[in-house]
Amino acid sequence: MAVQQKYEELINAARSGGVKDLKVREQNNVLYIDGEAPSGKVKDQLWDIYNRIDPDYRSGDLVLDVNTGNASGAKMKIITETSNLNIRKGPGTDQPIVGKAAHNSLVTVVNQTNDQWTLIRTDKGEEGYVYNRYLGQP
Amino acid sequence: MKKLSFGFIIIAIAAMTATEISGCKGKSDKKDTTNNTTVDTTATAPVEVSSDEALRSGVKDATKDYPTVTATVSGGEVTLTGTLDRSKLQPLMQSIQSLNPKKVNNQLTLN
Repeated sequence: MAVQQKYEELINAARSGGVKDLKVREQNNVLYIDGEAPSGKVKDQLWDIYNRIDPDYRSGDLVLDVNTGNASGAKMKIITETSNLNIRKGPGTDQPIVGKAAHNSLVTVVNQTNDQWTLIRTDKGEEGYVYNRYLGQP
Repeated sequence: MKKLSFGFIIIAIAAMTATEISGCKGKSDKKDTTNNTTVDTTATAPVEVSSDEALRSGVKDATKDYPTVTATVSGGEVTLTGTLDRSKLQPLMQSIQSLNPKKVNNQLTLN
């Protein structure tokens, strides 16, 4: 229960922020918070609270897995720092590169494979998998 | 034989449906006295931890764009070593913690 108390503010923010299917579990002194965030903004707010309670995420006592789903048909922006994003044949960096999505361009979500990879289509009609970290709200 | 098993399936489905209907009836007869205003967040199912093999493949993808970071996996635990700009720590941790690890040990030196 001690770890839950430490992250109480984060749990409450997840509840009030509208995180769906919220699960809070403690096992061997590690707290697991899972759920689906209604937006990237809510997810980032939770991560900011996490960082405030546990600066630089050093304690290793929380696994926060609150993700946002990329809805099929949605337009997403490529939010790489500067470079173009690799589009791959399958969901993994070991998969061949089949195209590039331009930095800051918009792509269409075909469907989300898992918490890491999403199948997308560019305006040029290139289709393949990109890493979710680089998909942001337009 | 085929006909026989098909008929059996039909009967089985019919039986299941009947059970469900009577189950629903039973429920609606009783007044629901549970308090639905609070969300039960104390789930009892054990936490699912990915296999080391799946975690290794996942951390390889997650750290690909951070060449100064080394991630090792053992017994479901991911340990991060090396150096990183503090501004990139949050996106990296978000990716790593979504892989269903047992624990993440952040031993990175942050700039």
